Amino acid sequence: MIVAVDVGGTFTDFVYVRDDHTLGFVKMLSTPRKPEEAVLEGLRRVAEEVRVREVVHATTIATNALRGQVSLELPKVAFVTTKGFKDVVEIGRQNRPRLYDFFFEKPKPLASRDLRFELDERVDARGVVLKPLDPEAVEELGLKLRSLGVESLAVCFLHSYLRPEHEKVAGGVLSRYVDYVSLSHRVAPEPREYERASTTLVNAVLQPIVSRYLARLFDGLAEMGVESLYVMSSSGGLVDVEEAAERPVQVVESGPAAGVVAAAELARELGLPKVISFDMGGTTAKAGVVRGFEVELTAEYEVGGEAHYGRIVKGSGYPVRFPFVDLSEVSAGGGTIVWRDEAGALRVGPLSAGAEPGPACFCSGGEAATVTDANLALGRVGESLLAGGLRLDKRAAFKALSKLGDPVEVADEALRLINLEMARGVRLVTVERGIDPSDYVIVAFGGAGPQHAAFVAEELGVREVVVPLHPGFFSAWGLLVADWRFEARKAFPDASSLEDVYAVMEEGLVERVGGVDYFLRYVDARYLGQGWELTVPVGRPARLEDVRNAFEAKHEATFGFKLGLELEVVVARVFAVKRRMKPRLKRPAASSIARVGLRKVYFEGSWLDAPVYWRDSLPTGFSLEGPAIVEEYDSNTVVPPGWSFTVGEAGELRLTKAG
Amino acid sequence: MVSWELIYKATVFIAEEMGAALRRSAFSPNIRERVDLSCAVADLEGRIVAQAEHIPVHLGSFRVCVFNLLNWLKERGLELEDGDVIVVNDPYLSGTHLNDIAVLSPVFHKGEVVAYVVNKAHHVDVGGPVPGSINPLAKTVYEEGFLIPPVKLVERNVSNEDLLKLIAANSKTPHVVERDLQAQVAAVGVGVRKVLELFERFGGKVFEAWSEAVSYGRTLSLKRMSDWKRGVYEAVDYLELGEEDLTIKARVDIGEDGVRVDFKGTSPQVEAPLNAVYGVTYAATSYAVRAAMGGEVPTNEGFYSLVEISVPEGSLLNPRKPAPVSGGNLETSQRVVDVVLKALAEAVADRVPAAGSGTMMNIMLGGVGETGYWAYYETVGGGTGGRPGRDGVSGVHVNMTNTLNTPIEVVERSYPILFTGYAIRSGSGGCGRYRGGDGIVRSFKALKPCTLSVLTDRFRRGPYGLWGGSPGAPARVVVKKSGGRVMEMPSKFILNLEEGDEVIVETPGGGGWGPP
Repeated sequence: MIVAVDVGGTFTDFVYVRDDHTLGFVKMLSTPRKPEEAVLEGLRRVAEEVRVREVVHATTIATNALRGQVSLELPKVAFVTTKGFKDVVEIGRQNRPRLYDFFFEKPKPLASRDLRFELDERVDARGVVLKPLDPEAVEELGLKLRSLGVESLAVCFLHSYLRPEHEKVAGGVLSRYVDYVSLSHRVAPEPREYERASTTLVNAVLQPIVSRYLARLFDGLAEMGVESLYVMSSSGGLVDVEEAAERPVQVVESGPAAGVVAAAELARELGLPKVISFDMGGTTAKAGVVRGFEVELTAEYEVGGEAHYGRIVKGSGYPVRFPFVDLSEVSAGGGTIVWRDEAGALRVGPLSAGAEPGPACFCSGGEAATVTDANLALGRVGESLLAGGLRLDKRAAFKALSKLGDPVEVADEALRLINLEMARGVRLVTVERGIDPSDYVIVAFGGAGPQHAAFVAEELGVREVVVPLHPGFFSAWGLLVADWRFEARKAFPDASSLEDVYAVMEEGLVERVGGVDYFLRYVDARYLGQGWELTVPVGRPARLEDVRNAFEAKHEATFGFKLGLELEVVVARVFAVKRRMKPRLKRPAASSIARVGLRKVYFEGSWLDAPVYWRDSLPTGFSLEGPAIVEEYDSNTVVPPGWSFTVGEAGELRLTKAG
Repeated sequence: MVSWELIYKATVFIAEEMGAALRRSAFSPNIRERVDLSCAVADLEGRIVAQAEHIPVHLGSFRVCVFNLLNWLKERGLELEDGDVIVVNDPYLSGTHLNDIAVLSPVFHKGEVVAYVVNKAHHVDVGGPVPGSINPLAKTVYEEGFLIPPVKLVERNVSNEDLLKLIAANSKTPHVVERDLQAQVAAVGVGVRKVLELFERFGGKVFEAWSEAVSYGRTLSLKRMSDWKRGVYEAVDYLELGEEDLTIKARVDIGEDGVRVDFKGTSPQVEAPLNAVYGVTYAATSYAVRAAMGGEVPTNEGFYSLVEISVPEGSLLNPRKPAPVSGGNLETSQRVVDVVLKALAEAVADRVPAAGSGTMMNIMLGGVGETGYWAYYETVGGGTGGRPGRDGVSGVHVNMTNTLNTPIEVVERSYPILFTGYAIRSGSGGCGRYRGGDGIVRSFKALKPCTLSVLTDRFRRGPYGLWGGSPGAPARVVVKKSGGRVMEMPSKFILNLEEGDEVIVETPGGGGWGPP
């Protein structure tokens, strides 16, 4: 049996498919200091029911380490570069993260100045060696690093993505003195010295942490008789333990990627070529795009930084050049706090009451009004969640909201504000990428996603929303349906023999991972002289002419024009994909349609009678006009007036806007 | 019931979406990657309701720009029609320098103007004798590039292609200017459409909501100033021009209803591109006030209404046409911030740092290569001043600019330049209880003959310290000729480099805060 383990900030979710094709799940409180404890404990419980043979895993250990989680101490990391340039990682791009704040700080360099070293060597922009590296100087440096107790090392020489010999020599020597060595041409072979050095340093910091964590976890699993362990990477594919330990930089956004992968697989199953994944939980809402059943990727990301209204604040974190699922993240979840600022304006977020102390209606110590309180006050959420496992106190919600004004008005306004905010989060990954969201379908999940999706859709002009089965466990489900995906790339490949370039990389990947089902080839290319690249898919055989056409088409679609100038291929990239067996879910047979009752729900300024249904009881093809509420164990779906819903073949709820 | 907060937030998002549209369809890296642009929605009176800005010099100068434009039209009895787009870059109207081209469109709802949308973007070359149109030797604005008075680039949805071509043809990179201008027009189009949708959805409530948003901005800004010590504070600092020191003097009056700054005593305008038009002076002043407030403040008329300036006409900070102005944005604006902050330091002691580097260190290189003319422009960051309770930050852009550097690996691939170092300039930050941040050393060799053009400042006086802290180290530029001769250079010059010549640029550290 394969079990998916999704470690989150509050809960660790375990999901598996039983022999009768129903979903089994376990929820445990996370143990951030030693995440493997909750993982192993939960698996033991799962093992009481089924035999666990394989574990697929989304982990937050890398993110938490970079966010400075107290308990995760960073290893002593050193940085080695070309003479004259050791401060590149401190200067960064020279910008400050916030314009009007005198008290800003730049991200602290991951290697402090006394642990940054230079070697006298130089390669130019054409790959010509101007100054050869002296191996004796490297030996000397190795002794110094050892005497300083350096645990992990990042090496990044100028232009090494073109000519890596010096890094190879340095790596060979220095790995005799230091346990972990990350070489920039292996971690991120692309031009732009700061971004490459930063990626290499992030990798160096994570290597000891991630590889030890995985080793501990694997030992624990082995004792339980589990045979294999795979980890979700930020690009939405599974990698093996060796790959994750060698290039841990790729598992930083492990968890969020899983949800989008689940949306992609659902899109494939339902035949939806244009999908927006909308994942709203307790503290954040995340949006991603799936086109042609493949998740949209971005080539660069900043880790350990801050986000502001869904956009990463440039310069607040450490840039990482690695393919990431293109996600925007908004501080908007069930626990997001509703408040008034000192000038009296009603505000929602970014602070969250989280799971502790939680929304006021949880009666677990939280006194601030939250989004969940607003939903409860307006009748959009019922007074019982998790099949009665969690009672919500309507009076407490009203009390908290009353502090801010008329409770119903405040609740209504707060929800409108947060829906507008989330719509904007979606716009970041659609409109700003040249995609018109109005002909897309929203796949809504996470505990709170189905409550808000129709309203967010209205803001975006989207006319259809799909709520999958078990929306609260959909991210973990993404782990079960993900494929294996291994990446390789080459900077400034010889454009006249692109096919050979890919062939060599693919051979290497086959050697590394064995039987490959298919390859996904991409290039990052630009017009010669332009400062930015576009990523386009590449066919087989790879021909420059086709790349050129694809590039121009994408340029036109994204920017509204093309230039017909000479093309420069900056990076050739390939993913080796191994398909995995997809489990299928069967819904428990619908008994008799259970209408839980009628509820007063507030929509557009008035209280309407909305029927409330228990989702599991609704047969395929069941259809109804809004207003309506569909409740289930881990979520509930709000169907506003003007919308209707149907239960689809795969058990999904399909909400459509009338007219 | 729809609250003003919802309509206001939607308006802010419109300004942002215009910015995103402009970035996405612009051609030049300066707009796309360095995001040297701003977008705003203004009400009927031209008051800024919501603004998305990425470059501080557009804060405030935008307000001046919209007011000036609407006045200019009114004085001439010109009325805008639905589907018109006005374009302008005359700095004496649009409020910055020639490179910043602004476009503005009215929004019509039911046959009446209900709002204006406007954006501004920095074009890399707008003509003139030097690449980049920042000419250190200009004696009038006409030696900096071409001027565009307010003219209709689009009239009732029909684009004036001839005008577009005329503008573009005067740039050394015509196709870039043409593309970028088209992107700006497309972006105001997005703004017009979205504001119209807002009116269609919410009708007259939009006006009420905008008024509320402006008074909210005012109330919140006043709260942020409530602990400032009321009174009058004076400060002075200098800019360097040849052997001469130009004086910038400010008298800052903090009252119950905002800040009034009088620049009487500032040097007269000069025949060099250091003059800052009124809009730049307003921008720099409002930046200083805004940053001293700390926290979140909405960028709208509510905030602007608290900042008033008075500048003698014909002075360095409010020159008469045709004084050249390209460096006013870059260097003079930084000194205006330094002076206003120095005065504010007494009133807001716990939030104002010592002076930061105070110069953008503009370095321009160009020459003729095998593939035609090449030009490379870079600004170099420095140290920020020591802060109450914290040391300054090393190696960043301060105050009026925040643009990115160009990666060394990219420069070396594109131009005949080889870098020899890029490092923190250790020890350049001023001493103090809280040290100033260190500046930067950036050095490179010319691999082919080329022309170096430099516009910098703070060579004679380092950035000031506060409360007994010492000043940061002054800037320095050294040229090591391939023959071995070492030349100590002034702050503003043009020099022909030969193959192998090395240029070493050292930027100022910030001043220290408090006695060491």
